[in-house]
Amino acid sequence: MPSITEAVPLPWVLTLAGALFCVGLFGALSRRNTVGILLGIELMLNAVNINLVAFWRYLEPNVVAGQTFALFVITVAAAEAAVGLAMIIAIYRARQTVNADEVDSLRG
Amino acid sequence: MTDILRSWIGGALPDWLIVLIAYLLVTLIVLFYAVGNFIMMVWAERRVIARMQDRLGPNRVGPAGLLQPIADAVKMFTKEDIVPRNADRWVHLLAPIVALAPVAMMLAVVPWGRGWEPIDLNVALLYIVAVSAVSGVGLMMAGWGSNNKFALLGAMRAVAQLVSYEIPAVTALLTVVVLAGGMSLLDLPYMQAGVPIMGATILCGDPAGCSPLLYSTVTSFPGSPNEPVQALDLGLGWWVFTPVGFLGFLVFFIAALAEGERTPFDIPEADSEIVAGYMTEYSGMKFATFYIAQYILNFALSALAATAFLGGWQGPGVAALANMGGPWVHVAAALSAFYLLAKIWILFFVMIWLRGAFPRLRVDQLMDFAWKLLLPLALVNIVSASLMVGLTQWTSAQWGGLVNLDGFAPWQRQLIAVLVTAIINIAAAYWILAINQRPREAEWDEEELVIAP
Amino acid sequence: MNTLITVLFLIFAAIILASAIMTVTVKNIVHAALWLISSFFGVGALYLLMEAEFLGVAQVLIYVGAVSILILFAIMLTRDLEGSQNRQLTPRWWIALIVPAALFSLLIVPTVMTHAWQLPPPPPAGQPPAISGAQQIGAAFMREYLLPFEVAAILLTVAMIGAIVVAFEERERRRRVLTLAEQVRLRQRQQQRQQPAPRPEPAATAVQPSEATGSET
Repeated sequence: MPSITEAVPLPWVLTLAGALFCVGLFGALSRRNTVGILLGIELMLNAVNINLVAFWRYLEPNVVAGQTFALFVITVAAAEAAVGLAMIIAIYRARQTVNADEVDSLRG
Repeated sequence: MTDILRSWIGGALPDWLIVLIAYLLVTLIVLFYAVGNFIMMVWAERRVIARMQDRLGPNRVGPAGLLQPIADAVKMFTKEDIVPRNADRWVHLLAPIVALAPVAMMLAVVPWGRGWEPIDLNVALLYIVAVSAVSGVGLMMAGWGSNNKFALLGAMRAVAQLVSYEIPAVTALLTVVVLAGGMSLLDLPYMQAGVPIMGATILCGDPAGCSPLLYSTVTSFPGSPNEPVQALDLGLGWWVFTPVGFLGFLVFFIAALAEGERTPFDIPEADSEIVAGYMTEYSGMKFATFYIAQYILNFALSALAATAFLGGWQGPGVAALANMGGPWVHVAAALSAFYLLAKIWILFFVMIWLRGAFPRLRVDQLMDFAWKLLLPLALVNIVSASLMVGLTQWTSAQWGGLVNLDGFAPWQRQLIAVLVTAIINIAAAYWILAINQRPREAEWDEEELVIAP
Repeated sequence: MNTLITVLFLIFAAIILASAIMTVTVKNIVHAALWLISSFFGVGALYLLMEAEFLGVAQVLIYVGAVSILILFAIMLTRDLEGSQNRQLTPRWWIALIVPAALFSLLIVPTVMTHAWQLPPPPPAGQPPAISGAQQIGAAFMREYLLPFEVAAILLTVAMIGAIVVAFEERERRRRVLTLAEQVRLRQRQQQRQQPAPRPEPAATAVQPSEATGSET
């Protein structure tokens, strides 16, 4: 029975997840557009999920904890995207901009 | 398929290459099957709708206009491919592909006949839902990439409709998941063996005296402690004959009409309002790709509705032929494939019929219909489905079941479950319809009313 | 077969990383969202390769089917036509480049590569490994993870309500377009009311249907 555990060593998968996380971090830090920041955050969450699934598959394939946790992360990411985008739309209505550096006062 | 190829050319090629070739062959067969059906569907739709509108329809190319789709295809191929100057070239190019690819992927998990299943995925129902959601991205790309306001409006409408109607569709499919105890599509036809309403609950009393032409071994519910039983099997125990399955089928089929943008719900491409919606700026092969995607989506959704509620390939005679063994198994497979195809085409005919019968909905009516009528019905249906399973499968005190029905025969339990769920479903349907039809004049503030001239 | 899996892994990794890099670097924000979708697809395929079928399909359903469509909608609702092309990155974006690069090369790679992973022994030949699938996840959600499951449900409900409240646009006048049957009933009612004491002006104001539908959608 061929499986990924024999074909690909675990550090490769973890390196991939780390690289994805860092790319997402760069996106979240460097974009001016708030939607762009949100895209970076989504990438980081995905990287975390890859890590969780990889640990589940390589270390404890008969325990569901890894997959369950990844599902919760997906849930939270969906909720975060919904609220974040709603806030971006509200900010756009008030300020006619979506650039993070132009939205710098607390008053709405 | 893999095994056949192995026996033919085993040893000559490495094993992984054989597996790859087998998968490619199966993919090709399924795609050709779908495209052949697409061609016939286009012809049938034009002829049938013409007949309903007292016209003739295409009747010049070939006998009864049968070759008209081929003439259309030649025209599509030779048409000029136009890209608007301010369009986003790559997005405009990729959009039809992104719209078609997921629809084609849906075909991979449907069991097309007894033993004719491309792949066995144990999350097949979820897979179909997930993949059909992806085509929304293609529509969005088409609307945005065309740089045309009608295209963008059409894409927004299409995606809003797709997302709204996905929820009743998924909720209706959840009833099937509850009834089947799993998400695999392959088990569904096997579980819909038996006789109408009663399913596979009329058991064989004496194992020696039951003819294999009438009785067959049925595994009723994979998760439950029930053993496989010898039951009367006419291949008609379709779930649509039970109250739960009927309501589920109704909700799913209506939602499928909306997802496939069939006529009462063809708001995204309402030609009297927004030209052709997201397809406005497309011509030639790219337009044809959208067209194919739409028809294959209808085909796949019909196949899914047939498999989930109408017994799939199940029908009279399939089990009897399969029980005779030997070469008859292949006859049974062919017969079962024919049954599925017939069901798909009947559903498609109903779609054409609805197109001939109903005008287009308004956007607010569309949303009200999904959220205020279909979704509550589907939610009630899930409760009914769990009661159904609870009353027919988990009925013994020793398994910690819902109620203790230990002394009852399977057909008695089934009858009780059918009656209970029928009462619940009819009452809920009556109540929800009454709520939706209640005149809202009391709330009218007459200053705010708008009377269309 | 193992070679095939290795090659597939490398292809998926390339898709994920390339699309992610395009996501954070392209100028056009719509293109960035589309590249993000491609990256999500790669991650989903990687899950399938790791035999997490349920998670792979859920990834496609939630990220590609829901989150990215939400993002595309949000982009189209907030598009500012003139200001979108001039400057996409913050003024000191190179700091934002140094931090993740240092994190990756100095922390993640050395740790991951040098740590001695305690992998479980491979299952005996001919016997499929015990992998928890969709059924085990479902059972776990109903048993040991019941409370987190309920909390997640509440979180989603709260997020949905919150998103609607935050993004809701208060309209000055909420109008309704009547159906034909309702119009007939309204006219009848008005006539009935007018019969005993006829009034000079009708109560309902007629507005053009085009603007009415515009405010309604």
